[in-house]
Amino acid sequence: MKSLKRIFSVGIILSSVSLALFGCGTGTSTSENGDTGEDKKYIIATDATYAPMEYMDKDGNIVGTDIDIVNAIADELGIEVEFKNYGWEPLFSAVKNEEVDFAVSSITITDERKQTFDFTEPYYAANQLILVPEDSTVTKFDDLKDMRISVQINTTGHEVVKGLLGKTSSKIVAPESMPLAISEMINGNADAAIGDNAVINEYVKNNPDVKLKTVEDDTFEKEYYGLMVKKGNVELIELLNEGIEKIKANGKLKEITGFDVE
Amino acid sequence: MDFPEIRWDIIWDYRELFIRGIWVTLGLTIVGYLGGIVLGLFIGMGKLSKKKWVYYPSKYFVDFFRGTPLLVQILLIHLAIIPGIFGHSLGYFVSGSVALILNSAAYNAEIIRAGIQSIEKGQMEAARSLGMPNNIAMRHIILPQALRRMIPPLGNELIALLKDSSLVTVIAASDILYAGKVVAGAYQRFWEPYITVAILYLCLTYVFGKIITYIEKRFSNSFVPKQKKGMFSTRR
Repeated sequence: MKSLKRIFSVGIILSSVSLALFGCGTGTSTSENGDTGEDKKYIIATDATYAPMEYMDKDGNIVGTDIDIVNAIADELGIEVEFKNYGWEPLFSAVKNEEVDFAVSSITITDERKQTFDFTEPYYAANQLILVPEDSTVTKFDDLKDMRISVQINTTGHEVVKGLLGKTSSKIVAPESMPLAISEMINGNADAAIGDNAVINEYVKNNPDVKLKTVEDDTFEKEYYGLMVKKGNVELIELLNEGIEKIKANGKLKEITGFDVE
Repeated sequence: MDFPEIRWDIIWDYRELFIRGIWVTLGLTIVGYLGGIVLGLFIGMGKLSKKKWVYYPSKYFVDFFRGTPLLVQILLIHLAIIPGIFGHSLGYFVSGSVALILNSAAYNAEIIRAGIQSIEKGQMEAARSLGMPNNIAMRHIILPQALRRMIPPLGNELIALLKDSSLVTVIAASDILYAGKVVAGAYQRFWEPYITVAILYLCLTYVFGKIITYIEKRFSNSFVPKQKKGMFSTRR
């Protein structure tokens, strides 16, 4: 009786495992059938919590500087684009798994990311900016050595802060989004917030009643944003680079961002 | 599906973050659970009260904290309520604990209420006829019996709370999931960090499960003399 029971239960386990594996096998070949027609619509992933670069307007449309740039590129190339809000971290796996064609989300081109993804030519230059309360004594990045710093998780700002405080330091406060990182600083959980200049400046502009000041530091390396494509998709990289080249040449990029990218 | 080679070294690099994560998760769970039981006991009793000014606040408390997502409660408490009251944040641990205490109190209140209601009416009547006042009868006759029936669902609540505590990652609490997310983001690798996170939670729930089983056995046998296993045992 006992052994019969055991055989039965082993049978159940085996069949459920094989069912699960079978389920895995069927779902992988979806991306093949999308690439055929000429009137292909390009699907673009973004994290729309990063005003003014990409954010949702009150009607739920994804708008912002990055979006304007990609739309300008699409106009030049005569292609159709659609933006989807994926959130910062899922966006990377979405590109990797070909759920989307490419991603635009103020993504800084880094050597680490280049190992897994390909990037276009830079279309935007940014640098990190420190945001502190108005009465703070901080004048440079190094002053933050013994302080708590808030920063959006897994951004280049996070990397910079890890470099200063150590990568497992408990003084790093890293919530999910930049607005949350700024509120951590305002609510007193952190002494300073660090983020990309565009976002920090936008926040200061929109919240004049909050007593804050920004601190620049020349030691921050300049960062360049690029469009992120699955590794090895040379065709798309060339197409997008052509578009970026065109909007640089005809001055549209400068019109949108206010400065030239070398 | 293709699995590239697995790199456990990236987990090792961030081991401090994972170790701190275990302590934070444990701390939040234990504080949230104990606080939740104490508060839940009052609210559960409140829901049994005939006094309207006790009954309705208890009822609305349960309705609110059981009817809204814990994630929303965490954000509300951390970003609005605590800064609103104190003028500044008190850190993720306070916010997280408060949210978990209030949330689990709502669930515990229902468990406790149901446990008390499950004791036969006659028990209270008998106690009262012996001359016990209501509150003494409740403490010495009803609650001890009800407690035994509450243990399994309260144990469930502990396991659920342990897993739900991972939601505090959103306010940058450095719990186990936070460590996993940092590693995943730093290397853009998802298999190793998240399987580590899963295993750590599994270990913790396993240990808690063992403790619950022990407590359950200990209490359920309290009125039955221990049986020797052997020829007189009716069990197979």
